[in-house]
Amino acid sequence: MARAVRAADGGAERGPDDAPAGTIGPMPARIPRVTKTEAIVLRHRRLGDADRIVTLLTPGRGKIDVVAKGALRARSRMAGHLEPLTRTEVVLAHGRSMDIVTQAHTLDAFVTLRADLDRLSSAMYLVEVADRLTFEDVDAGVAYGLLHVALTRLSRGDGLQLTTRVFELALLDASGFRPEWGQCVACGDAVPADRAAWSATAGGVVCERCRGGAGGAAPIDARVLRVLRAYQSLPYEEAARIRLDAELAARLEQVMHEVMHHVVERELKSARFVAAARRAGASAATIADAAGERG
Amino acid sequence: MNTQGRPAADSPIARLVEAFHRLPGIGPKSAQRLAYHVLRAPQQEAQELADALLEVKRSVVLCARCQDLTTESPCRICGDASRERTVICVVEEPLDVRAIERTGGFRGLYHVLHGVISPADGVGPEDLKIQELLARLRDVDTGVTEVIVATNPNLEGEATSMYLGRLLRPLGITVTRLARGLPAGADLEYADDVTLGRALEFRQEVR
Ligand SMILES: [Zn+2]
Ligand SMILES: [Zn+2]
Repeated sequence: MARAVRAADGGAERGPDDAPAGTIGPMPARIPRVTKTEAIVLRHRRLGDADRIVTLLTPGRGKIDVVAKGALRARSRMAGHLEPLTRTEVVLAHGRSMDIVTQAHTLDAFVTLRADLDRLSSAMYLVEVADRLTFEDVDAGVAYGLLHVALTRLSRGDGLQLTTRVFELALLDASGFRPEWGQCVACGDAVPADRAAWSATAGGVVCERCRGGAGGAAPIDARVLRVLRAYQSLPYEEAARIRLDAELAARLEQVMHEVMHHVVERELKSARFVAAARRAGASAATIADAAGERG
Repeated sequence: MNTQGRPAADSPIARLVEAFHRLPGIGPKSAQRLAYHVLRAPQQEAQELADALLEVKRSVVLCARCQDLTTESPCRICGDASRERTVICVVEEPLDVRAIERTGGFRGLYHVLHGVISPADGVGPEDLKIQELLARLRDVDTGVTEVIVATNPNLEGEATSMYLGRLLRPLGITVTRLARGLPAGADLEYADDVTLGRALEFRQEVR
């Protein structure tokens, strides 16, 4: 029953609702009845038989859930404009618990992302990372801009590793989780790349002297560390000139996945999908091999 | 919802309301309406509902081959000798099998994934019946030359078809996708028979 009550009361109501029952609190009159905003669609889920709840990342209002009525019907004009991984302009009518989409118009469908599995899975990862690091009613202008730019880079064919890692580092920075790759997180001394250890829990690198104190700090490949430093500090065009071989790319990815996992405190399902998609390509010449391989 | 009319949280009525509310698409208001309907209905109607619920859990299983819901495994379609055994149509949900059967335009076999790749909802390839599809292609339906991926025409459906394409193509199987014409973002379940039939007929190879 508790669940039913919560849903009925509309937990997501935005107005100031801390006034005691029976008194007339300040009315949420400052929220206009209809607003227009651009947004990137992060995900959606079914609501009843024909509607959808769509989760949007907006520059001004952060991450919000809105209702798209009739979006599941075959003749819905709106559904195509509210697909995940679409940048869209929406008109929202203020609703009691959630806003209702009254118009949606695609600004960018990132179509080339949808034609390539590796680009698509990487884009899904960017979206899940953005989803985990943004919140409702918090200005998300920076996060929105970073996601927009990263999806644009992915769809025009920029390097998957480059785009993904640069996005992760910039978003972590903007969210207050900037990993420290240059100075020891314990004593503040500069750490030489070839004698560094790191730990996700500590939030970056530690020097040789402090390593004993930082439980679980593991050595980090100097090449990996140099790339991370460059991606964090150089302008994108310069970072893009760094050449990555497959092994270096894999190690970079592993370090950043550990960082992300630690920050969002859960496994990112899309990170697994990125790997599964890659593995499926390199797979199995026979059905027996393919069927024997467990994800 | 007001506090006065609400049954105590541990009462039998509250338990029934809660049980209905857990069903997909049933909000708190509808759950209450259903519960009070059952309460007012004759004893026999309630008994039939309870029996039907238990019976369906007792007798319906997944077909060992196609993973569709069935009362006997292999299911009627898998066991039908007149169906073509060279082509498998992969769908998201059991309801999609019913929708495609209604078009009358498909005479091959099916495979139900029970979902679609959607990392944002915590669903990856490992959570779907993909290993079962591979095992089936290896052990049972060894003559299959084409797999039609009839997932919904949305992002998750595209991701799933591309993934299956990448997985199956090296095995010498042609992987096709329903033709466009189904509106983007729509759900197969809601497509009319003619549109769905045409999408099936004019399917295209997954690159
Ligand atoms: Zn130190
Ligand atoms: Zn079957």
